[in-house]
Amino acid sequence: MFKILVEKELKAILLSPKFVATFGVCALLILLSVFVGIQEYNAAQEQYETAQQLLNQEVSEATSWWGINNKAYRAPDPMQIFVSGINNDVGRLSNISTWTEVKLEESTYANDTLFAVFRFIDFAFIVQVVLSLFAILFTYDAINGERESGTLKLALSNAVPRGKFMLAKFTGAWLGLTIPLLIPILLAALIVMLLRVPMDALAWAKLGTLFGASVLYFTFFIALGLLVSALTKRSSVSFLILLVAWVVLVLIVPRAATMAAGQLLQVPGVAEIESQKDRFSTDRWDAYRKERTQMWETRTAQMAGMTETERDNFRGQNEARWQQEETDSRQVVQEDIAEQARKLNEDLRNQKAEQERLAFLLSRFSPTSSYQLTAMNLGGTNTALKTRYEDAMRSYRTTFAQFVESKRQEEMEKNRRSQGQRGVMIMGGGDETLDVSELPRFQAPSHTYAEAVAPSVVDFGLLSLFSLLAFGGAFMAFLRYDVR
Amino acid sequence: MLRLLIEKELRETIGTTKFAVTFAVCALLILLAFYVGARNYQVSQSEYEAAKAENLKQMEGLTDWNQVDHRIFLPPQPLATLVSGISNDIGRTVEVRTRGELRPQDSRFNADPIYAVFRFLDLEFIFSIVLSLFAILFAYDAVNGEKERGTLRLAFANAVPRDTYIMGKLIGAFLALSVPLLIPILLGCLLLPLLGVPMAGGDWVRLGMLILSGYLYLGVFLTLSVFVSALTEHSSSSFLLMLVIWIFAVLIIPRTAVLVAGRAVDVPSIDQISYEKNRYNAQLWAEDREKMNTYWRENPPSQDAPREEVMLKFRSFMTELSDAREANARELAGRLNEDRLNREQVQQRIALSIARLSPASVFSLASSDLAGTSLDLKQRYLEAANAYQQMYEAFIREKTGSSGGFMIMIGGQSEKEPDPIDPMELPAFEYKQPETASFVEKSMLDLGLLLVFNLVFFAGAFITFLRYDVR
Repeated sequence: MFKILVEKELKAILLSPKFVATFGVCALLILLSVFVGIQEYNAAQEQYETAQQLLNQEVSEATSWWGINNKAYRAPDPMQIFVSGINNDVGRLSNISTWTEVKLEESTYANDTLFAVFRFIDFAFIVQVVLSLFAILFTYDAINGERESGTLKLALSNAVPRGKFMLAKFTGAWLGLTIPLLIPILLAALIVMLLRVPMDALAWAKLGTLFGASVLYFTFFIALGLLVSALTKRSSVSFLILLVAWVVLVLIVPRAATMAAGQLLQVPGVAEIESQKDRFSTDRWDAYRKERTQMWETRTAQMAGMTETERDNFRGQNEARWQQEETDSRQVVQEDIAEQARKLNEDLRNQKAEQERLAFLLSRFSPTSSYQLTAMNLGGTNTALKTRYEDAMRSYRTTFAQFVESKRQEEMEKNRRSQGQRGVMIMGGGDETLDVSELPRFQAPSHTYAEAVAPSVVDFGLLSLFSLLAFGGAFMAFLRYDVR
Repeated sequence: MLRLLIEKELRETIGTTKFAVTFAVCALLILLAFYVGARNYQVSQSEYEAAKAENLKQMEGLTDWNQVDHRIFLPPQPLATLVSGISNDIGRTVEVRTRGELRPQDSRFNADPIYAVFRFLDLEFIFSIVLSLFAILFAYDAVNGEKERGTLRLAFANAVPRDTYIMGKLIGAFLALSVPLLIPILLGCLLLPLLGVPMAGGDWVRLGMLILSGYLYLGVFLTLSVFVSALTEHSSSSFLLMLVIWIFAVLIIPRTAVLVAGRAVDVPSIDQISYEKNRYNAQLWAEDREKMNTYWRENPPSQDAPREEVMLKFRSFMTELSDAREANARELAGRLNEDRLNREQVQQRIALSIARLSPASVFSLASSDLAGTSLDLKQRYLEAANAYQQMYEAFIREKTGSSGGFMIMIGGQSEKEPDPIDPMELPAFEYKQPETASFVEKSMLDLGLLLVFNLVFFAGAFITFLRYDVR
C-alpha cells in the first residue's frame, strides 16, 4: 500500500509540467553556478600565481635588507567555487614587514568594485534561495490541494491509515524532488573533475558534506510545505503563508539578526583602534629617538678631548658594541609596539567574537542561516577565514622578521667595513641584489575537515531538528485533518 | 466606465486576505528598512566621529609635524543606509602622507566580515526582491484567473470595450498596490529626521526620486504579469512562467552580466600595477642613492664646518631629490592608474549594458545612482582624498620647511624642548557630495529605461488582451 502511495506521489510530481520547468531552471542554475565558479576560481588562481611571481621578482631585485618589500597572499581554495562566503570581501594580501602590522587588505570587491554591485552567484546561494522556493512550490498544496480536488476523500475511503498516507506523501515528495536534483549536482561534480579543478580528498569530503547539508535544508522546506498545507483548508492560503514564511526565513531573519546584534553589542571601529596603535608607536619611537640622541651626545662628549687617531681608535673599539646596543633597543621598541598592537587586536577580536556569537545565535531562528553558516564553514569562507589567515601571517611575520634582522646585521657589518669612517651612512643598500633563496616563504594555513565540520555540528543538529519538528507537526496536523 | 472598472479592481484586491497579509509584511519590512537604516547611520556616524577624534587625539603632544600619522575617513552618507550600493565594499580610511599614492583601506565588509555573511537589509533590497515578488503574486492571474472563474465572460456580457477593461485592470492593480504602500514609506521618511539622520533639501529630492523609481520598478512587474497572464490560458502556468522570469531578472541576469564582462575585458590586477610601481620606485631610489654618494664625494663634510649647516644643505639637496623622484613616480602611477581606470570603465559599461536587460538591475543602478552609492563613489572619494593630499602637503611644507618623506636626524645640542604641535591647525577633510542635479541626471537613463519597460509591457498586455479568447 505504502509503495503504491509513494508511486502515485512520484508520478504526480514527475509528470506535472511544473516539474519540467522548475527542474530545468534548477539544473541550469546549478550547472551555471558551478561553471562560473570554476572560471572565477581559475582567474583567482592565476591572479594569485602572478602576484606570487611578481613578489618573488621584486624581492629578488632588492638590494638591501632594509628596503625589502614582502607580502603574503591568501591562496584560493577550490571550495570557494561552491561557497564564496566572505572570500571576496576579505583582503587578499597583507604586507609583511618588520615595521608594519599584519593586516589583510585589497579585497576583491574593493579592487574590482564592479563585481560587488550584484555579488556572486554560487551553489550555496541557489540552494538557499531558489531550491527552497521550489520545494515550497511543490508541496504547498500537498494535502489541501487533494482535499480541494476531492481525491483526498477518495484515497482515505480505502483502508489507508492516515499516518501511512502522510508518510507516503512525504517520502514521495522527497524522492520526487531530491533524486532529480542529484543529476545536476552529480553533473556539477563531473564538470569539476573534467575541468581539472585541483580538488583533493579533503575538498571532496567537504563537498560531500555540503551536498548532505543542502539535502537536509531542502528537506526542511518540503516538510514545512506539508505542515502548512495540512494546517490550512485552501491551497491559496497555504501558498500565501508559505511565501511569507519563505521571505521571512530566507531573506529577513538572517539579515535582521546580524543587524540587531551589531546594534546591541557595539564594537569600536578599526579606524579608532588604528589611531590608538599609531599613537603608541609614535610615542615609543619618539622616546627611542630621544634616547639615541642622548647616547650620541654622551659619546661625542667622551670623545671631546681626544685627538683624531684616539677618536678613531675609540670608535673602532666601541663600534660593534654600539651597534649591538642600537639594535637591541630598536628591537625592544618593536616588540613593545607589537605587544600593544597584539593586546588591542585581541581585545577587538574578542568583542567581535562576542558580537558574532550573538548575531549567529539570533539568526539561527531561521534554518537558512544554519545552512549558510554550515556551507561557509565547509567552504572555509566563514568569518574565521580572516582570523585564520591573519594568525598564520603573524607567525610568518615573526619568522620573517627574525630572518631579516639577522641579515640586516650582516649588511650593517659589511657597510661599516666598506664605508669606513665617512660619518654619514645611507641606508638603502648597495648595488648587488640580495640572495633571497633562504628567505622563509609563507605557507597558507590548512583548514582540516574537523575544523570545517566541528563548528557546523550545531547547525546540522538544528537543521535536523527543524525538519523533524516540521514533519512531526505535519503528521500531527494531518491525523486530525478534516478531509471533507 | 473606466472608473467603475478601477473601483471593482481595487475592491477585489484590497478586500482579500492575500492583500492584508502581504501588505502587513511589506509595511513591516519597509518600516524596518527605514528604522534599521537610520540606526545604522547613527552607528556609522558615531564610529566616524570617534575615528576622527582619535586620530586628532593621537597627535596631541607631538612636537614635529613629520611624526604625524594623519588619516581621513569617508563620512557616512544619509541615503547610503537606504541603498547601500557599494558603500560597504570600498575602503573608507585613507592614510594621508605628503608623498606617494593614497590607498583607501578598511572597507566595512573587510573590517567587519560578519556583515558580509548575510549582507544588509536595505530599501533597495526590499523593493527589488520582496515587492517585485508580491507584485507578481497580485497580477499573475489578472486575466486568465478571471477566465478560469468565468467572471471574464460575465464582464464582457456588458457593453465594456476591451481596451477600457484592460486599462482599468492595470490602473486598478497598480493603485491597489502602490497607494497602500505609501503609508509605510511616508512613515519611514518621517522616521529619518526623528532618528537624527540629517536630511538636506537635496536629499529629500533624491529620496523622492528613489521612491519613484521603486514604483516604476513595481509597475514593470505588474504590467509584465498582466501581459503574461493575457498570453496564457491557465493561471498556474502564468505563475510558473512569472516565477522563472523573476528568478532570471532578479538573480541571474545581473550577476551573469558582470561575470561575462569580467571575462570579456582584461583589467590589469592591482598586484601587477603595484609591482610595476614598486619596481620603478626602487629604480629611482637606486639612481638617487648614487647621486647622494656623489654629493658626499663632492662636498666632503669638513671637520670645522658647523654640523647644522652641513645637514641643512644636505636636507635641501634631499628635498630636491625626493621632489623629483616623487614627480617621476607620480607620473608613472598616474599613467598606470589611468590605464586601469579606462579599462575598468569599458568593463563596467559592458557589464551594466548587459545587466540592463533585467529591470531589477536597472532599478538597482537607478537607486544607487540616486543614493550616491554607485560605482562612481569609489573614484569620487579617491579624487577628494587626492585633492586633500595637496592641501596637506602644502600645509606640512609650510610647517616644517620640507614635505617630509624622509627623516634626517639633526643631532648636536638640542636647545630646548620644541613646542608641541596643535592638531587643530590641520586642514579639515570634507567629503563633498556632488550637486543633487548631477545625481538626478545620472539616474535619468535608468529611470527612462524603467519607463520604457513599463510602456512595452503595458502595450504588450493591451494588444494581447484585445485578441484574447475570453471563453
